[in-house]
Amino acid sequence: MTPEMVIFLVMLGLFVISAMWWKLPIGVSLILASTAGALTAGEGIPVRHLVEGSFAYLDPILIIATAMIFMEVLRKSGALGSISRLIIIKLHTKPVWLLIFITLFIMFPGMITGLSTATVLTTGALAAPAMILLGIPALTVAAMIAMSAIYGMIAPPINVPAMIIGGGVDMPYIGFELPLLFATMPLAFGVNLSLGYKHIRDVNLQKILPKLGKDHYEKYGFKLFIPLIVVVILMLGVRIIPEYFPNLGVPFIFMIGSLIGLFCGERMNFWQVSHKAIQEVMPVIGILIGIGAFIQIMTLTGVRGMLVIGSLSLPDIWRYLSMGTMIPLFGAISAYGSASVLGVPYLLAFLGQNEIVVGSALSLLTGLGDLMPPTALAGIFAAQVVGEKNYFKVLKITIIPAIVTALWALLMIYFANLLGSFL
Amino acid sequence: MVQKYKYNQIKIKNIEFMFGVFTLIVSLMIGMIAADKFQEMHETETLYPSYALTEISHLSDYNPNLKNTNGNTEIYFFNSDSAGGTVLILGGTHPNEPAGFLTACLILENLQIKRGRLIIIPRANNSAFTHNDPQEGQPQYYTIEGIKRERIFRFGSRITNSIDQWPDPEIYLHYPSGQKLAGNETRNLNRAYPGRADGNLTEQMAYGIIELINKKNVDLAFDLHEAAPEYPVVNAIVASERSQLIATEAAMELQFEDLIYSMEPSPYNFHGLSHREWQDYTQAMPILLETANPIQGRLRGKTDVSLLLTGRDPMYLKAAELGELHVPYDSAGISIEVRVGRHLSAIKTIIDVYSNIYPDKAVEIINVPDYEEIVSKGIEEYF
Ligand SMILES: [Zn+2]
Repeated sequence: MTPEMVIFLVMLGLFVISAMWWKLPIGVSLILASTAGALTAGEGIPVRHLVEGSFAYLDPILIIATAMIFMEVLRKSGALGSISRLIIIKLHTKPVWLLIFITLFIMFPGMITGLSTATVLTTGALAAPAMILLGIPALTVAAMIAMSAIYGMIAPPINVPAMIIGGGVDMPYIGFELPLLFATMPLAFGVNLSLGYKHIRDVNLQKILPKLGKDHYEKYGFKLFIPLIVVVILMLGVRIIPEYFPNLGVPFIFMIGSLIGLFCGERMNFWQVSHKAIQEVMPVIGILIGIGAFIQIMTLTGVRGMLVIGSLSLPDIWRYLSMGTMIPLFGAISAYGSASVLGVPYLLAFLGQNEIVVGSALSLLTGLGDLMPPTALAGIFAAQVVGEKNYFKVLKITIIPAIVTALWALLMIYFANLLGSFL
Repeated sequence: MVQKYKYNQIKIKNIEFMFGVFTLIVSLMIGMIAADKFQEMHETETLYPSYALTEISHLSDYNPNLKNTNGNTEIYFFNSDSAGGTVLILGGTHPNEPAGFLTACLILENLQIKRGRLIIIPRANNSAFTHNDPQEGQPQYYTIEGIKRERIFRFGSRITNSIDQWPDPEIYLHYPSGQKLAGNETRNLNRAYPGRADGNLTEQMAYGIIELINKKNVDLAFDLHEAAPEYPVVNAIVASERSQLIATEAAMELQFEDLIYSMEPSPYNFHGLSHREWQDYTQAMPILLETANPIQGRLRGKTDVSLLLTGRDPMYLKAAELGELHVPYDSAGISIEVRVGRHLSAIKTIIDVYSNIYPDKAVEIINVPDYEEIVSKGIEEYF
């Protein structure tokens, strides 16, 4: 057994013991496992490496925390409920269009930010109550939101994993629009229709209306939606006319939206709201910090290299299988990390094929990483927005859509040149 | 009974409070230890320029906005007594590519100049020297036991420190082309050209360098890099339309010394790169040099100073067997001498070819070793 293998087993072993047996939080378990890995490798307790690795996720942590506060404000102000109301009343007679509209609506923030979590926590959370009221089971709703968030993150115009993979081989992010639409839209509509259609074929509005709760829209009117509109304008502005828009950063935009939300609906105590939001998001922040340290130690000790070489050294047919599994699995740690560490070598291994199509398909595989435990960011937050504590129940429903997605991506790679001539 | 219940309640509250305080103290201690390590990286290593040095100026002389920022950096001028051309050498565009930085330092500390003028910026992105890339697990320092003195150099990051430039946009819109790249490339100096005087810090550095090239009439400009061995453009000379001819001729001459280089044209549609924008925004002939550096590659194994200096790695050996690499690789590794030596020989050959074609713009430097010499004597000989 190579030293890298020993270190890897020590890290995995201690993680499992700590998380399952000692019942420590996953974030803490990851830090313990990283420390054990470093000790086994003779690196002592490398405080600098542990802290440095976790800093990789500073920006995502700020985005997740502020997005959560923003959602909590919208919930309290009454905006969330009113949007569900509007969606249901306007579209309940046309179930196919309703699902297509909801799918695009959920995907939208992911398409412009490239973040699946921002998607789940914004439009996902907005659409969830309506979908549940229409009769779709809560867990299915969570699965639909998680899948839409992933397709949203991969769909154009912004796809960060594709940019990372392209950046690794100096391929500009140009001409990706059609391949990425091809990689996401058929899947997004197909998955959501197959999961949701049977539940909303015939909706009885009269039965639902009483359950919709108070109509805040009647009381506050258009004002309710101002925070949401401001957030969308600020996010879009910096992308469409960057000359006239300051780069505020997503966390700051969510904070501006939250503060405006305080004055655009039901009154609330901002400290209580933000306290609750942060408390809910704390375990995920812990996981991200732990994962950051974990990757840094895997890289430092050579475990990461062993895994990459291991997945590259498989024979041709197995290579497709390994791509379809290793990239999402590594994405358990982070989709962006997977794009950089595995996406780039795999793209290099397929040089000569249409690189834009291959890169697009690889980015779709990295997106699936957001469904992989322990991080499973899309799954965790989707479970949270429908009020389900155990996110594994959500992940179970996403297994088949995820496999279909992986196969779609692999077929895109196999037929890359053919597709490239059409797209 | 009620009394006891209350007492227990208070006790649990106390334990929770104490645990909170304990956690806070431990976090602070960890933070302080790490902060101290990070802070040390802001100390600049001393360089010892050769006697040929005539002037030290700063990038802020070419873009005043850089004054008192971590983006400012020294520019070393070596003027000869006889008229000729001007050559610029940039090291440290990417401080995680040590051969680029060390080559610039080695020339700076050893050279004599007979004709023309040489300008060296050893730390082109000074800010990127002050931190490391998270999750790469790379060393902060490496030591070279020079014959004159022991030297400790910093191994930095590919991009500007986020302490100096933050936050990144989710998407980097290159100025002025509008090209889109991943957000953190906003801090990559070699994606920032031609830059802006009042842009972000990285754009300010790029602008300063463009200004320097134009104001000092630089004729030939080198940007020294390294790349992962699995990267297609490695052991390469990248040249733009203007520098294609001399680069091709130099590559042929280098081949006689068994130094194989691939010739890569500067892409028309990829913006922000030094060679692309130096071609379009200055009169200089741009040249970018790449060597193969395992410690920045994605296939590497254990990441330590020994890998940095020897380039020896069992994982890359496997990758070579798998046919994943674009350079010859065996158990000997790719040492820092080999990498610096390739840069030195390429620079010397290209300057010679240029001087032959443009005799009135000739530049002549001596006392700088070539590949053969540094590989046989070791890099310690020159520091
Ligand atoms: Zn470089």
